[in-house]
Amino acid sequence: MHKFTNALLVVAVLVSGFMLYTLEHATRGTERDIGKLEVAIAGEREQIKFLNAEWSSLVRPDRLQKLASEYLELETIKSTQIVAEGELAARVPAEQQIKLEANGSDPIGDILKKMQ
Amino acid sequence: MTGMTENLDDLETRKPAKLRGQNRLRLVTIGFCAAFATIAGQLVNLTLIKPPGKDEIARLVPEPRLPRPDIVDRNGVLLATDVAVASLFADPRKIIDVDEAVELLTATVPDLDSKVLRKRLTAPGKAFVWLKRQVTPEERDAVYNLGLPGIGFVNERRRVYPMGRLAAHTVGYVDVDTKGIAGIEKYLDDQGALYTASLAEPDSHSTQPAELSIDIRAQFAMVDELSKAVTKFKAKAGSGVILDITTGEIVAMASYPDFNPNAEDKNLTSDQVNRLTSGVYELGSVIKAITFAMAFDYGTSNLNRTYDARSQLVIGNARISDFHAQRRILTVPEVFTHSSNIGTARMALEVGLEGHQEFLRRVGLFDRLQTELPESAKPLLPARWSKLASATAAFGHGFAVQPLQGASVVAGLLNGGLLMTPTMLKRDQATAEAMAKRVVKPETSEKMRYLFRLNVAEGTAGKAEVIGYRVGGKTGTAEKVINGRYNGDFVLCSFIGAFPMDNPRYLLLVMLDEPQPLPETYGFRTAGWNATPTAAAVIERVAPMLGVEPAFSEKDQEVLAKLAKAKKKPG
Repeated sequence: MHKFTNALLVVAVLVSGFMLYTLEHATRGTERDIGKLEVAIAGEREQIKFLNAEWSSLVRPDRLQKLASEYLELETIKSTQIVAEGELAARVPAEQQIKLEANGSDPIGDILKKMQ
Repeated sequence: MTGMTENLDDLETRKPAKLRGQNRLRLVTIGFCAAFATIAGQLVNLTLIKPPGKDEIARLVPEPRLPRPDIVDRNGVLLATDVAVASLFADPRKIIDVDEAVELLTATVPDLDSKVLRKRLTAPGKAFVWLKRQVTPEERDAVYNLGLPGIGFVNERRRVYPMGRLAAHTVGYVDVDTKGIAGIEKYLDDQGALYTASLAEPDSHSTQPAELSIDIRAQFAMVDELSKAVTKFKAKAGSGVILDITTGEIVAMASYPDFNPNAEDKNLTSDQVNRLTSGVYELGSVIKAITFAMAFDYGTSNLNRTYDARSQLVIGNARISDFHAQRRILTVPEVFTHSSNIGTARMALEVGLEGHQEFLRRVGLFDRLQTELPESAKPLLPARWSKLASATAAFGHGFAVQPLQGASVVAGLLNGGLLMTPTMLKRDQATAEAMAKRVVKPETSEKMRYLFRLNVAEGTAGKAEVIGYRVGGKTGTAEKVINGRYNGDFVLCSFIGAFPMDNPRYLLLVMLDEPQPLPETYGFRTAGWNATPTAAAVIERVAPMLGVEPAFSEKDQEVLAKLAKAKKKPG
């Protein structure tokens, strides 16, 4: 009986010891990974900052104006080119009505008809 | 039999002794078991049943300095940020093959000179030499990939201003230790330390960007038009500011010539200072707006009054005359649109010395205006208030003020009567109105709006008209004092105006220092011919950006129809 208990305890000690060390090993590995990721995150943050700065220097209005005057035909917007929201309807050019049925197919119309 | 009984007796007698020992052992075992069970129970309790929250885990956190906040404009465009830069160094003792190192390095970093490099790498007894400060990330990666022994990098932080010269005066710059020494950068370190701290994020090691009130697009339009005007009129300098008069925010502030905050060696000359805040200037007739508002607010004058401008106004042995002399009796709106010195002086004299000083004190012109910028100049007023001093101060003579302060006072007269301290940081209307001080009645402000609009429609500021944007304004041409006398050949021309005038939102001040007369200005050097058209050009560009909706009166539509006809004819 005593022998059996002792053997069981020894096995228990060995098993728990093994588990403990495996856990610790895994923890250390995870910690290393965390460290690596933190460094990588810091690096990415730096990179984001750098790219933001670069983007900002690329969209500098003076640079854009120079490029626009070179490659585009743009002028200063005139007040007469701006239309108030309410007047928008009056300014929309008349558009030709599209008659799908005349062209032979009207998929949405067909569906509607079926539903009726 | 007896043997068995003996044996039994033996057992009987030995048993209690054995039991005594076992009891003790059991007690000890139970004690140990209880202790271990408690520990195990607590372990299970702490790890599985009640795991501690994230914050409860004690951790050793190094606390480095809070990073310097980025600076962005009102739309979030980056104006200043910190970037990590690597600097390349070498340890000559560790380099195995100098020839190979020199060859590879010059191939990857083109601007390294092979002779200088060889000399540095072969330097005897040295353990550290700089090869290149602040290399680009591409170069750093390339050199890294060479895998040369004895070559390394040191990471440094550097403040960069991606927008360069734009808004340089407002943003300011830092010294080599990234300590702010000008502009908002200085504010973040000094008086605004509390503001800077508020940008810090509590749980992560970072800061929110500092949001300025500047709109970088409007800022550029301003700088661009100013630099064009300075070149065209061969002026010494030009400066301008756009204020949101409902909040006191500075939307654009430019002083040309400017400087590049990214340059290592700035060597600022006196021409490059921010003229809007660091110096005082006589703004001339622009100041008349203040006198008019004063007379209206005290009720000593109104729009229906008339003033005699038939002859010069004589006070003691001084004579006050008009530049655009009309030599007749002028109504109050005419005094404004013809910019009559005589009429304005008479209005100030009606108010009286006490009242004049009291009003100037009320609008803050006796005090220094303190914004976020470290530099600020105190207004220069007449030392002794006499009748003459009051009369000349009425039209801006002997009355020098920081242009930004002048602009903020006029903004207060036009926005309904609330004087607001201009700010370079984003502010909402409610906060601004809570901090504002009422200086004139809303009715007075109404009258001022009428006069400003009238002056552009048919007065000296006619060239400020941008059809559709209802511009109102006042011009000012101040003669400069050269060798103790006013000299008409050296003038400071300014235009102060607002738009859209039916409900003013933005105030614009444009100043040109010593513009020269041109053939197309018919030999004039007055503000109506140089500062005013510059202001119109700025308004035309800026109004759509700031969301000012154009509206056309019947008169505007007639003008537009005429223009359209004129365009069609030649075609």
